[in-house]
Amino acid sequence: MTGNELRERYGLPLISLHWLTLLLIIAAYVLGTLLEDMPLSPMKLKFYAWHKWLGLLVLFLLPMRLGLRLFEKLEHGAGLTLLEARISAIVHGLLYLLLFFVPLLGWLYSSAAGFPVVWFGVLPLPDLVGKDKLLAKIFEELHEGSVNLLVTLVVLHAAAAVYHHHVRRDGVLARMVPWLRKNQ
Amino acid sequence: MKRLSFLLLVALVVPAWAQDWKVDYSRSEIRFVIKQMNVPVEGGFKRFHVQASFDAAKPEQGQFRVDVDMAGIDTGSEEGDGEVRRPAWLDTARHPKASFVSKSIRKDASGRYSVTGDMIVKGRVRALSAPMLLTPQRDGGWLATGRFALKRSDFDIGGGEWADPAVVANDIDGRFKILLLP
Repeated sequence: MTGNELRERYGLPLISLHWLTLLLIIAAYVLGTLLEDMPLSPMKLKFYAWHKWLGLLVLFLLPMRLGLRLFEKLEHGAGLTLLEARISAIVHGLLYLLLFFVPLLGWLYSSAAGFPVVWFGVLPLPDLVGKDKLLAKIFEELHEGSVNLLVTLVVLHAAAAVYHHHVRRDGVLARMVPWLRKNQ
Repeated sequence: MKRLSFLLLVALVVPAWAQDWKVDYSRSEIRFVIKQMNVPVEGGFKRFHVQASFDAAKPEQGQFRVDVDMAGIDTGSEEGDGEVRRPAWLDTARHPKASFVSKSIRKDASGRYSVTGDMIVKGRVRALSAPMLLTPQRDGGWLATGRFALKRSDFDIGGGEWADPAVVANDIDGRFKILLLP
């Protein structure tokens, strides 16, 4: 153990939500990307449904994540320069914002396109806006643009975590990966 | 009082025989809702033709015929509009029209009507009964509104890979609103 290693780790609920969110984002992103070039088929309707269900699960898990995160204030600036700490705060803030706006824009797009969402085929969700072709096009573009930004930031976030783990060896990644701690 | 006497006059002067009603298509519609992955999706038909012939005093002795231009279907999305014209669905090239021809009209105690007749879609004929309300309009016309239920399997609409009702429901919930003018 080096002297500057962070001894704290996040609680299991927050860690679980973090990785679950990542899995949901990957699944929803893959489905969404496949949907773009698919001809209409029963499979496509199923992909549409699952894409929306998983994406909205990300949105609905977010308040819980934020709540837990506010209670678990770990030392975020430890070992970082002022600039690094600022960039870190901005990236994390943007990630949370996008976890909110990407699914929300998808929901708006679906509403404007005239397709209500029945969550997991069971729970009918309210339409956020009425059917409107132009609005649907706008929300579609915003949804796609914001998801590209989200994916870029997720990659940046993961790269920073790997950098902390292998170069800085400061235990930042281990806060979110319990088994890394045990090995140390 | 003036209005009552006018009505009496009309009742006396106009003989009680079936009248052919004109249709205000700009204020008429035939729409439907079908569930896709349990999501209700609304659609409709852009072009249809209605022949309504009845005596305003005794609509139950009248006759209705509706012909729908199937290529003018609006499924709620451009993707769907292209798909449902294909042979597996409506096969609009071979069956450009769907029709409903009434055979009998009944009136119940509360003044509601029930129209029974033949529904012809994709060359298949099925008996159909639909509740109908006739609401008198100020200009002497009638607003005919009602609902009808179809099963797409009855008419071979969307077979093959699309047969699974969990993806696209078998039940089609139809609504009509026809404004008839004297």
